[in-house]
Amino acid sequence: MFPQPLAENKRLQRGLYTGFVGLILILWLLPLFAVMLTASKTADEIMAGQYWTWPKHFNLVENFQAVFAQTNMWGYFINSLIITLPSVLLVLVFSTLTGYVLARYNFKGNALVFALFVGGNFLPAQIMMIPVRDLMVFVGLYDTYLALIIFHVAFQTGFATLFMRNFIAALPDELFQAARAEGASPWQSLRHVVIPLMRPALAALAILTFTFVWNDYFWAIVLTQSDTVKPVTAGLNNLRGEWTSAWNIVAAATLFVAVPPVTMFFLMQKHFIAGLTMGAVKG
Amino acid sequence: MSHVRLIDIDKYYGTYHALKSVNLTVDKGEFIVMVGPSGCGKSTTLKSIAGLEAISSGEIWINGRNVTREEPGDRGIAMVFQSYALYPHMTVAENMGFGLKMAKRPRAEIDAAVKRAAEILRITDQLDKRPKELSGGQRQRVAIGRAITRSPEVFLFDEPLSNLDAALRTQMRVELTTLHQQLGSTMIYVTHDQVEAMTMASRIVVFNKGVIEQQGAPLELYHNPVNQFVAGFLGAPRINFVAATLVNLRDGVAEVGLEGAASTVHIPVADPAGLTNGAKLVLGVRPEALKIGDASDAALAVDAQVRLVEQLGRETVLHVDASPLAAIGSESGTHNFTVQLGTAAPYAAGQSVKIAARASDLYLFGPDGRALNRPKLIAASL
Amino acid sequence: MSDLWKRHRNWLAPLLFIAPGALLFGTIIIASSFESVWISFFDWDGVGPKTWAGLANYRELFADPQFYVSLKNNIIWLVMFMAAPPLGLALALLVNQQVAGMRFLKSLFFIPLVLATVTVGVVFGWVYDPNYGLLALIFNLFGAAAPALLADEHAVTFAVVIAALWPQIAFCMVLFLAGLNNLNPEIIGAGRVDGARGWNMLWHVVLPQLRQVGFIALAVTVVGALRSFDMIAVMTSGGPFGSSEVLAYQMYEQSIFSYRFGYGAAIATVLFAIMIVFITWYLRMMVRLEKETR
Repeated sequence: MFPQPLAENKRLQRGLYTGFVGLILILWLLPLFAVMLTASKTADEIMAGQYWTWPKHFNLVENFQAVFAQTNMWGYFINSLIITLPSVLLVLVFSTLTGYVLARYNFKGNALVFALFVGGNFLPAQIMMIPVRDLMVFVGLYDTYLALIIFHVAFQTGFATLFMRNFIAALPDELFQAARAEGASPWQSLRHVVIPLMRPALAALAILTFTFVWNDYFWAIVLTQSDTVKPVTAGLNNLRGEWTSAWNIVAAATLFVAVPPVTMFFLMQKHFIAGLTMGAVKG
Repeated sequence: MSHVRLIDIDKYYGTYHALKSVNLTVDKGEFIVMVGPSGCGKSTTLKSIAGLEAISSGEIWINGRNVTREEPGDRGIAMVFQSYALYPHMTVAENMGFGLKMAKRPRAEIDAAVKRAAEILRITDQLDKRPKELSGGQRQRVAIGRAITRSPEVFLFDEPLSNLDAALRTQMRVELTTLHQQLGSTMIYVTHDQVEAMTMASRIVVFNKGVIEQQGAPLELYHNPVNQFVAGFLGAPRINFVAATLVNLRDGVAEVGLEGAASTVHIPVADPAGLTNGAKLVLGVRPEALKIGDASDAALAVDAQVRLVEQLGRETVLHVDASPLAAIGSESGTHNFTVQLGTAAPYAAGQSVKIAARASDLYLFGPDGRALNRPKLIAASL
Repeated sequence: MSDLWKRHRNWLAPLLFIAPGALLFGTIIIASSFESVWISFFDWDGVGPKTWAGLANYRELFADPQFYVSLKNNIIWLVMFMAAPPLGLALALLVNQQVAGMRFLKSLFFIPLVLATVTVGVVFGWVYDPNYGLLALIFNLFGAAAPALLADEHAVTFAVVIAALWPQIAFCMVLFLAGLNNLNPEIIGAGRVDGARGWNMLWHVVLPQLRQVGFIALAVTVVGALRSFDMIAVMTSGGPFGSSEVLAYQMYEQSIFSYRFGYGAAIATVLFAIMIVFITWYLRMMVRLEKETR
């Protein structure tokens, strides 16, 4: 283990260490604390320019209520849900299928297809922007949920296929050989060998895809316009433009936008980390 | 003065008591082998000597210095790891010279030491290669070479042969023993393989559950095990155990009844303290001590049926069923006795034989596993 | 019919499996990218017909001073982002202890990574506000007035990059923590026995083992720097006067706000070309690294 582990019996050392890390953490998260502080203030305090004093009344709940009552934030939130959840589901399905084929079938062009999936991940969004937008306008899906869902499923399948393919390729060959010896069809192999073992990979991919899609901003502003379709990311930016003086409300809205991915992260932290670092370390 | 001394070493992993008051003295030039089953504490002890693990209480002395609080690099030890632990991004020469480089020795000194060690291990033409280009055996030599260049007080080996295939293992065993003769250094070696222990050690230390059961010359431990555990650990095929009961004890001779045998066996007992009639005992007899056929001077003789024959060319191992006499705790899971004959003999399964053992070949262990008799007296010269 | 299926299913089934994902990805991602390059050879306002322009868009681009501002900013992003892996490593080393509560503290460090870039942009927009931002607070403590970084042509890009570094450092930290958890303990032990300590141990024994992870951290960081869009869009909209624009943002602005889709496509193509160079280098290094560690 590196750095060298602190001795178990040196309590003072360990306590000082934890304290030091805590201090660094506070500095690290200072911007967030600032937002939380602002989100707890009343409108009067903001007007009076009292930005850094401890709030006289803890107004957090009221500010949140104002966010829901006076802004479209809740609507944006629902939009995000409608866009993200189906996308994640479809990505999991498609990437399992493609990852399975790329991992277990050695056909000519396998490497090329795989390279395309991997390379496509690195493309800047701008290189697809015009044709994709055009396509959505052409098929009449511009400014609808489907536009974003279709795009996100298409794009995230790239990374997800890389992930699934590596995972399935790491499963022991003997399992598949045993299935084949018993006369299993490709579908049966997939169903009975891969899917039962896939739970950790699915969990990791689900949380990662959720985070990427939920947090997307670019495609939200490119493919949507009306408030009825916009997700929280675009919505928050709009809000900031509209409510320029009510900082406590905007701060509360910002926290609201931050809550879902942070909550999901804490709930599924192990899977999130495992997913991110999958390619980075062996075993 | 002893070269390495462990004084009352205790180690806890949380609440788990891994080492219980371990005391060990190693003299200069000895080849000590620490053996025992998994989890017995031998590796923990080795790592504690190295300083890679901290001990909960006790002291470790190396060459007259108390090194208990010292870093591994300052203890004057060098270690060969089970998986060799070579630095993958360095060449063989760099691997071997790394320790001296950390000690800020001059370039010329490092090069000379590396060259010397490479010559001893015959790897001089591998010096510019990377570990991944080497075979298992070669990597192991580099690991040993890395230890040699540092000219340590003590060499520590952590199961270095377990990752090699059988043939290579036998070869390296001989090479390591030769190396020890050549260098004359103090070596502390850990293994779970009792063959390595028996063949390489000048002294064996048997560990079990964090405690040293017995230590001494290999043959001493083999012929005079101090308890049932040591008797069962050393020797392959394993010793045969039979459940027994103390019928009567008089004038230092125990009359022992065996489950399934009609008559009783008389065995002289050296240390009968605390034994009462009816006490549960265990009788032990080694496979090579069981003879087939002639029962003239036997203390124990039973009829048996051959169940399995293993022909090894220079010896034959028979698994015989001597019911109602049952061997307990055998490796095969059956109640068969293992008989080892020193020749290739034409036995077949189903054959009826008579197995017999002399009194001087019978071991007797008390209810607590302690050896009650010393059937063999080893001459000091052995 | 089902007989036909049974006979051919060993190649038909996988084909059907891979079809939806591959088709979707192929058309929407891959084909679109090529189509953009095609569009860059035209003049187009997005509504009317496309008129062939040949290389005119590119000629205009290379004469456009804004292009060089964007390019310069991309380079600033790239160079400053290089701080993320070492800082991420430093944080990872700091928190890599098995002390009570560390697991929870560690996860709190990752929060910037999980936030949407919009959120980070909005948050740092406040930090930089010269009246009531964190920056203002700090300056006021010393009795000075805070500079309006986001309104300053010379400082704006640096300020935005620092905001973007917040989640980027967290990402590198996650990667390096995983790498540190996968170190070979026997090699560390060998290092200790050889007397390597502290910096020596880090440099000679630990870092070489982190090479693969470090490489991925580097790749992710470079890609992030070149692709940056969200942060700029949210914090400055490219301003003041286009001084914080990068290629990605300039492309967006030209297309959506100026209705010059052909020109925008040309910018995207240039960005694409830069990234292709990087992607090819990365894939090649990755293959070589794989071979090395086999």
